[in-house]
Amino acid sequence: MQFHQIIMDATEIEFLAEKAPITIVPNFTQEKLYLISGDVGPFTAGIPMEVPMWLGMNLRQRGKCRLVIPDWMDAEKLAEKKEEESQSKVFTEMPCEHYLVVAQLILSTAPEDIPNSQQVKTLVKDIWDLRISKLRSSVAEFIQSEGTHAKLDRLTLLEINSIRPFLPHSFDQLHRLSKAANSSNLSQTQDY
Amino acid sequence: MVKQDTHLPQKAWITERMSPTLEQNQSELVDCMLDQINQMAENLKRLKKHDFRLAIHKMEIDRIRYIISSYLRVRLEKIERYAHYLLQKEAGITDESMANLTPQEVTYAKDYASNLESHFQTLVLQHVPENLRGFDPTKMSVKPNLDSYIFLRVKEETQGVLIDDSGEGRDEEVDLEEGSQHLMRYKPISHLVQSGAVTLI
Repeated sequence: MQFHQIIMDATEIEFLAEKAPITIVPNFTQEKLYLISGDVGPFTAGIPMEVPMWLGMNLRQRGKCRLVIPDWMDAEKLAEKKEEESQSKVFTEMPCEHYLVVAQLILSTAPEDIPNSQQVKTLVKDIWDLRISKLRSSVAEFIQSEGTHAKLDRLTLLEINSIRPFLPHSFDQLHRLSKAANSSNLSQTQDY
Repeated sequence: MVKQDTHLPQKAWITERMSPTLEQNQSELVDCMLDQINQMAENLKRLKKHDFRLAIHKMEIDRIRYIISSYLRVRLEKIERYAHYLLQKEAGITDESMANLTPQEVTYAKDYASNLESHFQTLVLQHVPENLRGFDPTKMSVKPNLDSYIFLRVKEETQGVLIDDSGEGRDEEVDLEEGSQHLMRYKPISHLVQSGAVTLI
């Protein structure tokens, strides 16, 4: 019997993250763009504006704008976040749902736009590693506790995806086993 | 379709990807998006070769097209996997608005099922002794595992969701707070997915 596993590719999560807005400063002037998913613009050289990430990245690559780095991507703030995350037993709230994707996109497209880019890169990776290792140890606990359901507040999509398909599939199997165990118990009690 | 509704195709796509069974078809949404894409493509033909504006519109079209293709592809995969089960279920539905499969999908499922049967006949069954030639599609049908564990995010607070345990009588109830995320079995919350109270992630 073939079994089907529900998976999501990291590139697809990046695709989803690319819809989030980012602030850019265009170096050209252009009237509104009437995109299917909403109007963008008008573009005025030197005036900051919000565009979806995929558009911002593309414009930046063509040299048509400068990126305004999101507030949270600051070396000091990230260092504080890292400290907070390492002190806390549970997962802390991340300033951005797609923090790793956004950081990675900006660092690869326009590292010059980020002050202390090397530091930022290291800090984001450290935060990711901390959270993933917390996740790994709590997964072990989940399974041992034989719970039927788990709460994963404040975990971001990419982090959740890292335990697919292993974790849901393990729970499936555990459920199957306990169902089989229970039904054999029932049939035993019905025997004389 | 209003511009603010453009997150709906994405939501339908993720739900279909993450669900162990076939969700309700969103053919109106798909048709609407395809219309919009085609219209945009028409308009772009009339635009002069404005290199980067054209490229941006085209990028957006490609993005939307990707979501729709992936959505339709995952539905077809499920139809192929659960063909017999889905056809039986659809046959039992009399109200058209409750149908899960579009008419084209029903035709596809029927064709697939009959192709599979004739494939087995030509490949194996007609070459084996008479008494082994029986073909019972119901024995071959695969049902989706509604007990699969899925991740969800809560949109609307829902109290007292019953997650009954496997027959031990250990009935467990959970309160779903808005904004929380959970890992649990699909079956107890499938009605909440359909109502929009939770979304699969």
